[in-house]
Amino acid sequence: MTKDIRKPVGTTRRNALKTLGLGAGAAAAATSLPMWARYAQAQSSEPIRIGFQLHRTGIGAAYGRWYDRTTQAVVKQINAAGGINGRPVEIVAEDDGTDPKRGAEVIEKFANQSNCDIAYGTLFSHVVIGSAPRAAELKLPYFVVSEGHHVASGMLNRYTLQPGITDVKSQVQAMAPFVAQNLGKKITMIFPDFAFGHDHRDYFTAAIEAQGGEVLAQIAIPPTETSFTKYFPKIPRDTEVIYHVMVGPAVLTFVKELGEFFGPSRPEMFGFIDSLEAVDLASPGLEFLEGTYFWEGNPRYAQANQTSFDKDYRAAVGVDDNGASINDPKDVSTYSHMFGCWETLHVVKAGMEAAGYKTRADAPKLIEAVEAMTDMAASDAHPQGAKWFNGKTHQVFGHQYISRVTDQKLILAHTTSIEDTLYPDEVDYTKQAF
Amino acid sequence: MSAQPCAYRRAFCDKWLSSDTGSRHNVFMIAKQTLRLVALLLLLVIPASPVFAHASEQGFVLLLPTDVYIVSGAASVGLTVLLLTVLPDQFVASVFRPIAVLRLHQSGLSVVSSCLSALLLVALVWVGFYGSHDPLANPLPVFFWTIWWIGFIALQGLLGDLWRWLNPWTGPVSILQKTLNIRPFLRLPTGLGHSVAILTFMSFAAFLLADPAPADPERLARVVGAYWLFTLLAILAFGPRWLRRAEGLSVVLRAYARMGVFGRKGNRFAVGIPGWQALNLRAPTIGIAVLMLLMLGSGSFDGLNETFWWLGLIGVNPLEFPGRSAVITQNLTGLVLANIWLISAYAMAIWLGLALIKSTVPLSRGFCLFAPSILPIALGYHIAHYFPSFLVDSQYALSVVTDPMGTGADFLQLGTYYVTTGFFNSQDSVRLIWLTQAAAVVGGHILAVMLAHAIALRHFGTTRHAVLSQVPLALFMVLYTLFGLWLLASPKG
Repeated sequence: MTKDIRKPVGTTRRNALKTLGLGAGAAAAATSLPMWARYAQAQSSEPIRIGFQLHRTGIGAAYGRWYDRTTQAVVKQINAAGGINGRPVEIVAEDDGTDPKRGAEVIEKFANQSNCDIAYGTLFSHVVIGSAPRAAELKLPYFVVSEGHHVASGMLNRYTLQPGITDVKSQVQAMAPFVAQNLGKKITMIFPDFAFGHDHRDYFTAAIEAQGGEVLAQIAIPPTETSFTKYFPKIPRDTEVIYHVMVGPAVLTFVKELGEFFGPSRPEMFGFIDSLEAVDLASPGLEFLEGTYFWEGNPRYAQANQTSFDKDYRAAVGVDDNGASINDPKDVSTYSHMFGCWETLHVVKAGMEAAGYKTRADAPKLIEAVEAMTDMAASDAHPQGAKWFNGKTHQVFGHQYISRVTDQKLILAHTTSIEDTLYPDEVDYTKQAF
Repeated sequence: MSAQPCAYRRAFCDKWLSSDTGSRHNVFMIAKQTLRLVALLLLLVIPASPVFAHASEQGFVLLLPTDVYIVSGAASVGLTVLLLTVLPDQFVASVFRPIAVLRLHQSGLSVVSSCLSALLLVALVWVGFYGSHDPLANPLPVFFWTIWWIGFIALQGLLGDLWRWLNPWTGPVSILQKTLNIRPFLRLPTGLGHSVAILTFMSFAAFLLADPAPADPERLARVVGAYWLFTLLAILAFGPRWLRRAEGLSVVLRAYARMGVFGRKGNRFAVGIPGWQALNLRAPTIGIAVLMLLMLGSGSFDGLNETFWWLGLIGVNPLEFPGRSAVITQNLTGLVLANIWLISAYAMAIWLGLALIKSTVPLSRGFCLFAPSILPIALGYHIAHYFPSFLVDSQYALSVVTDPMGTGADFLQLGTYYVTTGFFNSQDSVRLIWLTQAAAVVGGHILAVMLAHAIALRHFGTTRHAVLSQVPLALFMVLYTLFGLWLLASPKG
């Protein structure tokens, strides 16, 4: 089902150097550095300090816990393999309270107090948007793991990159072909009435129309709503597919009431797993979702065609085949998002090694090295799958997964091509000065 | 933590089972059976060991029949009020009668334990400055907020005055006074009453509720270190009176100790049902009475400010909460208004009660007399509000104990250690957690109405007067039960 438009090439240092267009001699010298020399350097070198902007408290704390767990796991793995340029990696975690103002303060601490080489790890869009200007002012490379379209939209700056997770615009757009071809062309959208829901409304409406489909109704639900029955009669009778992206504490109630409204004869349903990220699908009330479809950033349940990369990644983070913690099967991870931390730090490693990164003064070289990246093969560094990085927009693009709820598990039904996720560039950051 | 609910339950149940067995009064027997049932209910819902452990908790709470629970909870409190109207006077008095256990001897042990506590605090402040920047990996925020503020306050309220031994000032002050031969050289004006304590406690509440980053290790280290040093110097300058009248946290902790099952009766160590000490002690001064209400008012706002209702009121979308730094003014305003509202409502209930029995007791005296009956509500609410976060953060406490400096050490031999929040992910465990919280709220209110009734009996003589005087306060408490349970059930951002 996967149709990649590019020949996969790994983001090895060699490839990165190649894409950087450095001389063959320089490349040979770097790669021929013997192991003992790398370790010798490791012993005498300062660690690479990565300022981890962690949603430890506040609205993002549930995601923050898994972002932290993934980050600790990937750093352990990178250090075990010799670190970055032979230097160990050290995580300097600061809680941003999922608060934009504190986010900017944390960036300042990374740059001015903790002597960090980069800032990294932010998920929530408002924190990214609040922090990115300060990162640019302080000339601190800022690697976000946010999914927001704000990077590729051009509203940020040359110092802010998103190389480890795809953005919401590409995700939503890539769903339209599958929905139109397999589920139906007459869509009713139910979404929370704020920016998150509006993004889905706008991107999906445009994308489904491009597929010859039609959005019959757009039902916006006030964010503080906790009972939904009164909205359901607004669903047009000829609806073939309900597209839902409800988030927040009332999601379980939403599903339960939707089930009560439709009974056994429901239209097809398509949702984003963001609604039920870290929620056990075997929870009471969710039986109604049996047979419905969800977007997943990374399949939560180990699939029949599981790659060795996914297997190793799960083991490293301590996640079982159901996407839950190995020490508590009820502790479900944020599997669709947290791989972004793993992949981003591997991109940072590849970028630093390609740039011959030594000190903060090399920040522009690091950014240019990442901008020069293109194809990233599915690998231990990219367990979610192959990707393509757009250096101009600082945004990575990758396969999206559509899973069907089967026996209270998510079984992969379709993998989109990377091509499905692409859209015209909206910015060229490489033209901005450092 | 498991021992505390057990001790609480045992004291609670034993008291019911052994109280005044000589009475043959039918009503009395029915009351005893009913109250025994309440005790058993508490026993059932308070788990003997921590249950397994966030994101979807709210979702499951919304699916629970919380309306039924809320009405049942408030009805239990209302029923207790009705029972108290028909019970003989000696029943309530006997319930709160303690059993003297041991003769107490003076020892210098509290100086040693306080010094150790001070040493721990200094070490924690040092780690706050120089350890991990992650508030859940640095021992200072974990100890200060989870172990001390959440856990220790609850223990102080359930057990008794542990702060006497563990406060970080009396030991160092005693040693400094002896070694440097310093005597207090300033006088704290009597006219100030407990106003400085009110100021320091409200500053703490404002820090807890409105500061953008109260758990940031470095920031917390500055605040805790500076406050400890300031208080140490103030005690040296003003003498121990500073701790009793001006240091808000110590005053609040001593107030909570009035709820503890263990305490002093004369020169004996005694044990009794929570509240016995409050009844035995002199009525608090107006300053302490106000503090008791501020404890409940601030605690209640610390739940209210997370609800969709409050966020809607201040125009914040709970699903894209802009962060604490965006709501500093709103939180400070809410904190002040919540407390003004609570104090006014309480004062109104007291005033009405006095008016109903045409009492000559002035309002200020009545205000002070009944203020201790607010303590079990505040304590119950403290336990209920923080219970879910304690289940998670206590796991982080374990991880910082095993690796305090984030060096990879594993002193407790935990091996690969993952914090879990899986208990928020199933209907059964969320129900158990919610009912435990509700039990703390309802239990607190039941004790409160009993305590208020006992106070009224003592001061207003006849049962009729006592009952009549309690109607407004009892109504206030039933409504507060509804409010407390509504807070637990409300969707939060």
